[in-house]
This record gives sequence, C-alpha cells and structure tokens, in this order.
Amino acid sequence: MRISSIAWANLKRRKGKAAFLIIGISIGIATVVALLTLSRVIKEEIGTQLDQYGANIIVVPQSNSLSLDYGGISVSGVSLDASQLKNEDAKRILEIPYRNRISVVAPKILGVADVEGHQALLAGVDFASELKLKRWWQLAGHKPEEEQDLLVGYDAATQLSLIEPTTDGSSQAVPVTDTSITVYADGGPHHNNTEQRGFRIIRDRLQVAGQEHRVAGVIAPTGGSEDRMIFGSLAHFQSLLDKPDQLSMIEVSALCIGCPVEDIVKQISTQLPNAKVSALQQSVRARAETVDRLTRFAVAVSAVVLVIGALMIFTTMMGSVVERTKEIGVLRAIGLRKTQIIKELMIEVAAISTIGGLVGWAAGMLLSWLILPYFSQSGVRLELDPKIAFGAVFVALLIGALSTLYPAIRASRLDPAEAVRYV
Amino acid sequence: MTFVTVKNVSKVYRPNGDDSAVHVLTDINVELQEGEFVSLMGPSGSGKTTLLTIIGAMNQPSTGQVLVDDIDVYGLSDERRADFRLEYLGFVFQQHHLMPYLNALENVMLPLVTKKESSKEKRIRALAALERVGLASKAVRLPNQLSGGEQGRLAIARALINEPPLLLADEPTGTLDTQTGSEIMEVFQQLNAQGQTIFMVTHNPENAALGHRIINIRDGRTCRENAAQVGRVFETIVGAAEPNLMELV
Repeated sequence: MRISSIAWANLKRRKGKAAFLIIGISIGIATVVALLTLSRVIKEEIGTQLDQYGANIIVVPQSNSLSLDYGGISVSGVSLDASQLKNEDAKRILEIPYRNRISVVAPKILGVADVEGHQALLAGVDFASELKLKRWWQLAGHKPEEEQDLLVGYDAATQLSLIEPTTDGSSQAVPVTDTSITVYADGGPHHNNTEQRGFRIIRDRLQVAGQEHRVAGVIAPTGGSEDRMIFGSLAHFQSLLDKPDQLSMIEVSALCIGCPVEDIVKQISTQLPNAKVSALQQSVRARAETVDRLTRFAVAVSAVVLVIGALMIFTTMMGSVVERTKEIGVLRAIGLRKTQIIKELMIEVAAISTIGGLVGWAAGMLLSWLILPYFSQSGVRLELDPKIAFGAVFVALLIGALSTLYPAIRASRLDPAEAVRYV
Repeated sequence: MTFVTVKNVSKVYRPNGDDSAVHVLTDINVELQEGEFVSLMGPSGSGKTTLLTIIGAMNQPSTGQVLVDDIDVYGLSDERRADFRLEYLGFVFQQHHLMPYLNALENVMLPLVTKKESSKEKRIRALAALERVGLASKAVRLPNQLSGGEQGRLAIARALINEPPLLLADEPTGTLDTQTGSEIMEVFQQLNAQGQTIFMVTHNPENAALGHRIINIRDGRTCRENAAQVGRVFETIVGAAEPNLMELV
C-alpha cells in the first residue's frame, strides 16, 4: 500500500465526483482541441489558397543595374555583366534544408525580340512549374506541348492580331489548374466552339525572331505584366535569345503556414551566393496577419474555457478538502507529512486530469470531424496528431495541478488535533 | 526509566485575540515510565484530550516542554514531527477514525504507506497486527461490516502496526457498550503486559483503574495521582470530592 493506493481508493469511493470532474475537464479540453484544430485547418486552407496566388520568393542575379521589369520586380537585362543565374541554380534551390516547404521553383529567362515587326518581351519558362505557380491564369487554347509552342498574353495577342472579340462576350478560357477539363481552341472534349468570354483565337502561327511558332494558347487578361508577354519553353527561348543555360530570375513558392520565409530566404541565399533573394513581403505579411488573427481568436477562447475549467476543479477540490478534513487529520496524526498529503491529492487530480485530457482530446477530434465540413470548402484532411493528444493531456494536467495546488496546501496545513477532534 | 516527560506545559487559546484567552492547561507536569499504563481522567472540558494531543506531538503547547525518549518533540520541525509521530506514536481515537473506503487490512496498513517496504512485507505486518487483536479472519471486511468492538480493535491494530513505543488512546471505549468496552480494555491490558507503554484518556473509572496510575485533571491542572488499585482509586476519588465521579461510584 502506497500513497497512490489511498488516492485510487478515494477516487473509487467518490466515483460521482470523479466523473463530474472528468466530464468538466473533458468538455474544456474538447473545446480547446476543437477550436485549435479548426483554427489550424482553416489556417492551412487559407495558406493553401494564398499559396495559389503565386510566388513569395524571388531570386535574381546580383547586379548593379537593372533593365527589365517583370511582375513588379526588376530583373537583370540581357547585356549586363552581372553574375548570371544558371539552370543548375534552380535545381540547387531544392537542396536547402527547408526544401520540403517549397512547392514550386519556376526559373525564367527574359528578353526582348522582334515579333512580326513589334518589340515584345519574351519569357522562357518551364511550363509545368509556371502553370502550377500561376494558378489564376485562364487559357484559351491548350497547354504548350511542343518545344516551339507559345502562350501569349492578352495584350500582346491583341496587338499581334491573334485574337478577336466575340459578340456574346464569352471565351473558352478555363483555369489552368483544372487540367481535367482543359479546353481546346479548336474544339475539345467539352466544347465544340471557340466563342467564349470575350475573345477567340483566330491565328495560331507567330513569327518570333524570324522563326515560326505555334500559339498553343492565349492567357485571359490578368491585369499584370504577363498580359504583354509571350511565353515559350525555357530551353528554346534561351537558345533564341542566345543565352544558353542562363536564367534571368527564379520564382519560388513556399508553402507557408507559419513557415519561416525569412529562414528559407537565408538558406537560398547561402545556397546561391551570387544571387539576390528576397521575399515578397506584402504577401508574407498578409498571410502572417490572417494566421495570427485566427490563432489569437482560438487562443483567447481556449484561455477562457480553461480558466472556467480550472475554477470548476478548484471549487470541487476545495469542497473535497472540507469534506475530508477528518480523514486528512487522521493521516497527519498517524505521521504523514504535509508534502505527502499534497502528493495524495495531486495523484487524484492527475488521474482525473489524464483521463479528462484523453477523453477531451477524443471528443475534440470527433467534434472537429463533425463540424469541419461547415468551415472548410476544400476538404482539408483532419489528422490524428499524437502531439495534440499529448498536448491535451499536458494542458489538462497543468490546469488540474494549478487548480488543486491551493486546496492541497490548505489540506496539508490542517491542524491534525483539531481535524480529528471536532469533525 | 522515564519515557515521557511533560514539563510545565500550558496551553492558552486566544480565539478572539488576547482579551479572551482560554487557559486550557496550566503548568502541567507529568512523567510516564517505560512500560507503564497510565490513565488520564477528568470531567469534560478539563483539558484531557488537549494534553493527549500535546503528548501526541500534534498540538504545540503555549509554554513548556514535552520530551519523549529524550527528544524535545516541539523542538522538531513540522515535517520532522510528522516523522516522529509515525515512528514513536500510535493513536487510538474515540471515534476510531477508520477510513470507510479501505478494508480492515488496508486500514491497518495506512501508517506504512510511506515506508519503503514491498507490498508483500506490508501485508504480512498488517496481518500480524490484525492477528494480535483477533481480527485476522476479517481482514478484507470494510469497517462498516465490523461490530463496534471490532472497529475498536482494528483501530488498535492500526496504531500498533509500526510497533510504536507509546500508544495514545482517547476514550477508546467511549462509544462502546460495556461488554465491547471490556473487550477493548482486555486488549490494552494484554499489550501492556507485553511491555507496551500506554497513555489513555477515559471517563470510565473502572477502565482507568486497569492502568498502573491514574492522573486526574481538572480545570486544566493535574490535581491528583493515584495508584491503580480499584478500591484505593475509588477511595481517593471520593476523597477528592468530585461530584460527577461520586455519582458514578
């Protein structure tokens, strides 16, 4: 028989009170778990949506002078003597320690060329990563398939007479991310005409720097600099612009729920010492702010719930101490130390808190699972994270211990002579 | 050999400050020899239980000193005094104060909870203590499944489990009928015959007379000590002209 035996015997004896405390703690912990889980899921969803808005890190060569502008970012020109980015550099970005946080690396070569008598800005890109990055693009036509296939910005296509307005204001443009319903300018699985939303492609051949190219698609107006650009495959445009293996810039998208963007920037800078790496602060700050608000809300509500739970435990344990004055007095009289009395009460509350924490975690996860569909449109998956279970038990133990500390100390200070004599 | 020495002990309660001091004990001097069975008698409110709890190391006197086995009990820290109680003292309370949710064996084992012995050793010791008071066959019964006398014997077994040099009893037969009370007193006598030092508070002159000495206390002062031979005790008490005891006689 040990002190823990007395605690267990007491719990068994006061099953109703123990059950009441367990239910109370469970409700508190379930609320906290549900709130924090939903907050995390919503944060993830917001983060995913924000990440769809494009790159949040830009890598450009170190340079003293800048000559071109793309997406609000100035990039090195054709003839500058700055250190150049190479194809290899794009691959090296995926070797940084935080590489698992990076969702897209989109290298680019930029340059100016003659296009049927007009000076046009060319962008050689890796279409696979570029289309993944620019999820808001809507294409009329289809994704580039051949080496010499092009995507043309809306303004450039208009200037080059590649498209014409449609009478009913429709076009065949569809989001590039929706690959399963890719629509073709000249007919496809779901559409048999090209007359959709405002324009249609009327010519699919284009002379760029004296070479004939096929216009695979036209990008619907975005309001950005890409409206004035012509996109081709990276290797082909490097060759066309006579800049083999060179890159003008690399756009990087980091999946970024609370991720350390600044740390990723530092790691890329270390990996590419000749490059200038910068985070698009506006995007990062907007994400951080949204995430912070959600977190603050969840933490504030959780704190209130936990304080209420702590008060409930405190009141119950104080009542329990009063109820057990005689018993505690006897234990003191037969020679138990004050610390041993505190230990006995703490063991009781620890057992209750552990069970309450686990039950609360399970209930919280169940609650989250039930109400998640009402909060998330994208079907974010709910994960059974053991860390949350440990956290729930830890918080329950902490609340239980803090709220029992005073009643336990008070119990230990009971005068054994008085307790035994008068109760 | 003197085992317990109570020197000039006074106890004053001040429930409402200095103006309303209640003098419960005044200048008490008592000695207990090793192996002695001493009874403490006195009317209600005379300070018997207060003196018992002072000797029992759980009630700090206002003045004076208590030595047990030459240890200045109240010179010890609070926690050390708890250790002292565990090692030196066994208590038998008037209401027995058994834990209703523990069975007889577990109740007896209570003072062992802090001992670093295996559960098996503790059980063996507890069973031996129950055997001593004739309750070995009822080890797994809860207190409410025992008679009043059995509960009293169980309380004695709990007090004896640590083999304390001094057994303190506060009216151990106070709530029992005459027959059951006699059973309990027999146990005390047997223990004393085995060398156990006993200090017992009682209202019952017959029970008191079973000890070697009777200490009378009145209004917080010891007024008389008597050799414990029934005829002499009664004579002395009658001679002390204590009305309530005269009625009892």
